[in-house]
Amino acid sequence: MNASKEFNGPAAQVPRQQRFASWQEHHGWSAAASLRRLAARPLGSLLTIAVMGLALALPLAFYLLLGNVQKLGDAMGQSQAISVFMQTGQSGQATQLLATQLGNRPEVASVAVKSPQQGMEELAKMQGFSGALALLDDNPLPYVVQLQPRSDASAAAVETLVADVRAMQGVELVQDSDSWRKRLEALLGVGNRVVLMLALMLAMAALLVVGNTVRVDIASRSEEIGVLLLVGASDAFVRRPYLYAGIWYGLFSGILAALLAVVIELGLAAPVAQLSQTYDGKLRVAGLPTWLLLAVPLAAAALGWLGARLVSAWQLRKAA
Amino acid sequence: MIHFDQVSKRYEGGHEALSQLSFEVPTGEMAFVTGHSGAGKSTLLKLLGLIERPSHGVITLDGQNLARVRRGGIPRLRRRIGMVFQDHRLLMERTVFANVELPLMIGGVARAERARRVRAALEKVGLLACERQLPATLSTGEQQRVGIARAIVARPTLLIADEPTGNLDPQLAVEIMGLFAEFQQVGTTVLIASHDLSLIKRMHKRVIVLDHGRLVADLAAQEVL
Repeated sequence: MNASKEFNGPAAQVPRQQRFASWQEHHGWSAAASLRRLAARPLGSLLTIAVMGLALALPLAFYLLLGNVQKLGDAMGQSQAISVFMQTGQSGQATQLLATQLGNRPEVASVAVKSPQQGMEELAKMQGFSGALALLDDNPLPYVVQLQPRSDASAAAVETLVADVRAMQGVELVQDSDSWRKRLEALLGVGNRVVLMLALMLAMAALLVVGNTVRVDIASRSEEIGVLLLVGASDAFVRRPYLYAGIWYGLFSGILAALLAVVIELGLAAPVAQLSQTYDGKLRVAGLPTWLLLAVPLAAAALGWLGARLVSAWQLRKAA
Repeated sequence: MIHFDQVSKRYEGGHEALSQLSFEVPTGEMAFVTGHSGAGKSTLLKLLGLIERPSHGVITLDGQNLARVRRGGIPRLRRRIGMVFQDHRLLMERTVFANVELPLMIGGVARAERARRVRAALEKVGLLACERQLPATLSTGEQQRVGIARAIVARPTLLIADEPTGNLDPQLAVEIMGLFAEFQQVGTTVLIASHDLSLIKRMHKRVIVLDHGRLVADLAAQEVL
């Protein structure tokens, strides 16, 4: 027992630089120790990560769905022609005149006139109609003018065009896709809002899941925490491993959510490709942007930290 | 170092553990607190570590009024006190070395310095060979010595111990008390709660006797025969 020079009176204050180095060291230790504790009970950790991951994947899936519906809507809107049905009894000449008139307008890309004869032939080609058509005495179909608006024409311009055509003499009915598009856009707006609310609610759920897991963690180690507090550990020191546990739960669940989203994206690729063929290959699957896939794990890690921080503040106040 | 002035502690439910207790322990002194179980020994030590707060009265430690120490200031206060418990309160899943290292880690001491001081503390209590073991593999007496090594490793100004020899055979108990006396010799103030009167008598140190929370005798070292 010749070590008494180590005990020659009370200790001096530890230099700042040393304190910083050992603070860093404790961060490293906490990160590693919390990871080891996660690995020590794999089932519980995996369940927490799976629940959080699924909760975070859900809004991503909806976001994907919305993106694709949006693209589909765009593609459909572009290929949609405006059909102008003439009153029955309007002659081909009058129709042609109207078509030329419309063709001169700047927002119109192309005009085509369909005679009642052509209409009948189209119908005859459709399955099941030929028999019924044979029963008709004469052709009930009117002349039809098909307008293709320029793809860069504004919605307002197309709207005025439709209104003008409706007011023209000899026009019975104008069928346009405009109101349909507006409805889709409004619906997408609602969908976006729903996804946002859903994301907030599910983020809250993820927060509760990680919070509860960390709470159980802390409760099961209350004895250790008591000892740490007795030997002079600060709250920050005591909760550090639990905050890292929260970060790990969040990070892993965020990675899981991003992976799930990619799987869903790949699953969507085939049906969308099929759909794309019906739109001259113009449609491509709307994927999740790379930044989002990277941001999700980071945001989830922050969420995990927050959950652990809130719970540990509350638990430690109880312990002290 | 320690100054109690008219200190009372009444627990919820009305039980008065300490009543109007006044005494002083100068720096560098070693003193025993004794009395029957329930006399208030443990409560007295708990008040010093701010594990409990007094209901009345003023406690000053090293000139600092403990009533002024807020919750956030408690860790800093506890780092200046080495505490030894009857049930030693070791972290069972960490090695002996890691247990003793804990106060230095908390205090922010650098790694190399920590290793040096942990080994010195373990050598002091005669357990250097056990540093890699888990506490569960040690005997009760050895665990108690690990607890003492942890209490002294950060060189506290005050060392308090609650029944440190409670579970030990007489031979071991004497050795442990001898260790405490050694720390007093290098300038640490030592306060030990114990009901083992024969052991206390052998130590020839000051004895504070409590009964039902009141001070009934305060014997100077010379008076202890």
